[in-house]
Amino acid sequence: MAFLELTNIRKQFGQAVAVEDFNLKVDRGEFVSFLGPSGCGKTTTLRMIAGFEIPTVGRVAVDNVDITDKAPNQRNVGMVFQSYALFPNMTVAQNIGFGLRIRRESESAIKERVDEMLALIHLEQKGPSYPSQLSGGQQQRVALARALAIRPQVLLLDEPLSALDAKIRVSLRAEIRAIQRKLGITAIYVTHDQEEALSISDRIVVMSQGHMEQVGTPFEIYNFPQTAFVASFVGTLNTTTAEVVDSARGVLQIDGARLETAEKLDGRQKGDKVTIAIRPERFSFASEQKKANVVDCRIENITFLGSIVRIQVSIGSGKYYMDTFNNPFLELPKIGDKDQVTCSREAVLVLKS
Amino acid sequence: MAPTPNGKVAAVKKKINLWAWFWILLGALYFLVPLYGTFDFSLREKRGVLSLLAYQNVLADPRFRDSFTYSALMALATIVVGLLLIVPTAYWVHLRLPQVRPLIEFITLMPFVVPAIVLVFGLIRIYSGPPLALTNSDPLTNFLLMCGYVILSMPYTYRSVDTGLRAIDVRTLTEAAQSLGAGWFTILFRIIFPNIRAALLSGAFLTFAIVIGEFTLASLLGRPAFGPYLVYMGNNRAYEPAALAIISLALTWAAIGLIQLLSHGRPGQEQVGGVH
Repeated sequence: MAFLELTNIRKQFGQAVAVEDFNLKVDRGEFVSFLGPSGCGKTTTLRMIAGFEIPTVGRVAVDNVDITDKAPNQRNVGMVFQSYALFPNMTVAQNIGFGLRIRRESESAIKERVDEMLALIHLEQKGPSYPSQLSGGQQQRVALARALAIRPQVLLLDEPLSALDAKIRVSLRAEIRAIQRKLGITAIYVTHDQEEALSISDRIVVMSQGHMEQVGTPFEIYNFPQTAFVASFVGTLNTTTAEVVDSARGVLQIDGARLETAEKLDGRQKGDKVTIAIRPERFSFASEQKKANVVDCRIENITFLGSIVRIQVSIGSGKYYMDTFNNPFLELPKIGDKDQVTCSREAVLVLKS
Repeated sequence: MAPTPNGKVAAVKKKINLWAWFWILLGALYFLVPLYGTFDFSLREKRGVLSLLAYQNVLADPRFRDSFTYSALMALATIVVGLLLIVPTAYWVHLRLPQVRPLIEFITLMPFVVPAIVLVFGLIRIYSGPPLALTNSDPLTNFLLMCGYVILSMPYTYRSVDTGLRAIDVRTLTEAAQSLGAGWFTILFRIIFPNIRAALLSGAFLTFAIVIGEFTLASLLGRPAFGPYLVYMGNNRAYEPAALAIISLALTWAAIGLIQLLSHGRPGQEQVGGVH
């Protein structure tokens, strides 16, 4: 039985549809990320779980209790905001204890819980400090502790790391994930950063224009994108239009070169057009023995990205990226060289139109 | 020796500083010379010597104490009622109705357009007979006067509160409090009010200053306020009005000082940390 359930959710602002046909079941203790570009409806969906927006149609249930029409302060849902939203007039300890005071818990219980939360976020000494006396990273940890202090059923995080610099983002997302695992709390995380979503989530919901594009584990989302949008949004991907040559054997043609795919081409006729995608790291230079999926190419550009070297090759009139690990003892080809690249049949993904 | 580029910059800076000081001095003289003139005049009630006789006369006058106390109490009531009316309104406009902000701003500017004399005649015409005859007893007339003061001080109070609300992220703070279980009353009194304290104080003291000196409403409603007393003294005495002007100025400065004192030294207004 799912712990958090969103059923047939639709949200409309005037004539504009922000979210449509959204269905999701989240298990207890699961960490699910909503990933998508600005305006895709991910934050609106999160706000509907929090109660700040009421769905035009649909149902939100937590632990099998319908909370669709409950006011935000009647739901036991903790929320962490992008802008921290700490109360400037209260100390760190008062911020963390705020929700407990609202619940009229005893002073000793509040103090005990606040100390526990401060220890959890490694800010034991900062209880008497005011938010303005903390760094951005520290403020967001306090916001997390404040949201967790009330023992919420679901923790919602709305782009909590967007306002922080890159290094802090990486360390804090690991900390958030570790705390979530430790407490076993169900968490929904909104982000437009694919790397963040891939690294932190049990499952990812990729959204575009109010629709769910794909739901899956980070592994599935990255390796087997089902739509052109997911393919283009998550990671770097070569996409192109191919023509079906032999649907039974999975033979395709791109820019005059033949490629085979392991995916089924059921229902496709010879001459049909399909969109295919190949991750840059699935390409490699062809060895002499390799016969299948070998295509002639020309080296167009070489970009050094640290551990990765990104090589742009042209196949016919199309341009593709190929990633290879940086090896200082191997000689790289030169721009203008003619060579051959290859990829496995499994690397050639046929996307849903 | 030829001047260096740095030397030139220093010379230009010095020139700018001199001009800045000149204008500051000119501005200070513009304000201080008449003030000094008033103060000097207030000390000359005794012929040939400087004395505080005019101040003693003013402070010994029971009408001064009574009228000032009356106006101060009216000011406090106006501040409380005005803030209770305007803060929730401005808060709701910020939170849920940002599209009506221009309309609210227009309404709050009405006291600048409608003169106090028109306002008070309107109040007397409507509230001097049934169904709401408020001018028949002193307490009800005081209430009517206080309502008039709320209207007169509205442009200042609303702007102060609006500025304070603009300085904080009203929506996110509200939602954060809601997600922690807080209701509207708690949000307003424990989150919003404390975080716009400086703005509330500023609005409160502006209201105080307006009510203390207000003449038209108090005079035409026949209430013993400080404004009519000031006019009465101005019409009948020579040196005491000057002393009263200085006392009023001192009270105004004391009020401003109080704003500084009460709104100063609380953390939460500035970011001191970097990203750690």
